[in-house]
Amino acid sequence: MTFGSFVLSALAVLVLLGVGQRVLDRMHLRDRTALLLIAAMFIGGLIPDIDLGVARVNIGGALIPLGVCVYLLVTADELAERLRGLVGAILTAGVVYLLDRALPASPEAIGLDPIYACGIAGGIMGYLFGRSRRGAFICGVLGVLLADCATALVLRAQGIAQKLVLGGAGIFDTVVISGLLAVLLCELIGEALERLARAQGAPRDYARVRKPEGRR
Amino acid sequence: MRRFLMLVCLLALLLPARTLAEEADTVYILVDDRGKTITQYAGTPEAGDEYISHDNRHYVVRSVDEMTHTALAESLGSYAMPDVRWLQGESQAVSAGEGRAVALYCTHSDESYAPTDGKASVTPRGGIYDVAEALKANLESRGVTVYYDDSTHLPHDAGAYRRSRATAEELLKNRVDAIFDVHRDGIPDPKQYETTIDGQQASMVRLLVGRSNQNTESNKAFAAELKAVADTLYPELVRDIYIGKGTYNQDLSPHAVLLEFGTHTIDKDRAEQATRYMAETIQKTLYGGVSGAAAGDRAADTRRGAWTGVAWIVGLVLVGACGFALLSTGNLRQAAGKLGDGVREISGGLLNKKNKE
Repeated sequence: MTFGSFVLSALAVLVLLGVGQRVLDRMHLRDRTALLLIAAMFIGGLIPDIDLGVARVNIGGALIPLGVCVYLLVTADELAERLRGLVGAILTAGVVYLLDRALPASPEAIGLDPIYACGIAGGIMGYLFGRSRRGAFICGVLGVLLADCATALVLRAQGIAQKLVLGGAGIFDTVVISGLLAVLLCELIGEALERLARAQGAPRDYARVRKPEGRR
Repeated sequence: MRRFLMLVCLLALLLPARTLAEEADTVYILVDDRGKTITQYAGTPEAGDEYISHDNRHYVVRSVDEMTHTALAESLGSYAMPDVRWLQGESQAVSAGEGRAVALYCTHSDESYAPTDGKASVTPRGGIYDVAEALKANLESRGVTVYYDDSTHLPHDAGAYRRSRATAEELLKNRVDAIFDVHRDGIPDPKQYETTIDGQQASMVRLLVGRSNQNTESNKAFAAELKAVADTLYPELVRDIYIGKGTYNQDLSPHAVLLEFGTHTIDKDRAEQATRYMAETIQKTLYGGVSGAAAGDRAADTRRGAWTGVAWIVGLVLVGACGFALLSTGNLRQAAGKLGDGVREISGGLLNKKNKE
């Protein structure tokens, strides 16, 4: 590997770590906790997967993001917020499943690469149902995990014993990318609406309704 | 109801209407400005796609006509192929060695060869796995360690690359020098791929590089090297290089190429025969020509591609961060302050420290 290739690979990892830290930082997590979690996702991705026979679970790509989702659901202020997050996640799974089936198999024929399309679906769902970055992360992560489980179940029903791999690519897996992208998209929609509201002379509180949580 | 309608509208943006009605293997014809056919492509080309023909002519797709399934490509002249003169002088110097490893996997598990496998698509394991195993055997016979993952990634849909991403990442943990995703093409005309090499019936191989990721230039340089070596050893082996929209999981490695061994209408035996020549091409590209000026040129090509990728990432991050800061603050001064805060928080306070008053 040339020095340039090494810098390229290292930079890709650093950018992902940086974006991940910023995203987690915006979900009621302290700076240091966010940094530790994103580092755990990276290191967890390098550790061998947990083999459950019919499935393989990656620590950094599935287990830790799932743990963050559980934490976000448990620490949600209201029951309604939890329900919105869960319903949004199930609907996101449905959308991801349908996107997989409906879009052409060749990535070049799709307006957006499937890796990113899942995150955008999660972001839209998270914004519409969770109305928050936390909801978006839950939708992005759980949506992809549930969609993968649904695909595995359908294959089993067809008699195809294909091993289910959850988050196998670690921090580079669609599960993580989808969660991060969903939050970024939610943030972008929130900021855009806030600017729009301010431009139309609405009070600042108007926009805050759309971005309910701040950092603790 | 409003939420639901908004959701449907937003999701509709993700789905170009045309794609829902189309078959996966729609064949497009690339034509030049005089209407002359350049090549066929099973898939949907996009404006901006690049193409390096068998005779190393370089084209860029300017427009796509979805009604007639044609794409107009502009000629950019001859592609500057890497100098592989070292092949003549050092062909005997290539031998088995420690730490020489590549990885193989198959994203589209059902891909098969109709004349020999019975159908173009066989589940759960298509004939493509036989081709990948033949490539593995031929590489190993040349002293290259091969990490081959024969996991399936069914169904053959838009999620296949998402599922094979885990396989690719797992293979890359073995610190391989290159990773290849083995496929077959979907062009119906077998003559597009049938050839004879060293008196043996074989298939040609198309190299596919994704242009939607930071490793595009590195992978393009690597594909060009493979073609240049193949053109010297077996001029009929590598059909062409298509640089298309998409990632194909090539964002995971700066030495990742998708190999299309023939098409579904040829005999699988031809594709298996081609693996013999492709294995030699891969081995010599990666491990041949280890000294002399030519090797220096090759390293320079790789370096250039890598640094282009670095610039790509830095540019993307800067544009994204500045755009977001401007959107959320509305003016340059506050945006700069927001960026500074972000840098401070991300570095745990090491960078852009606040002055204590």
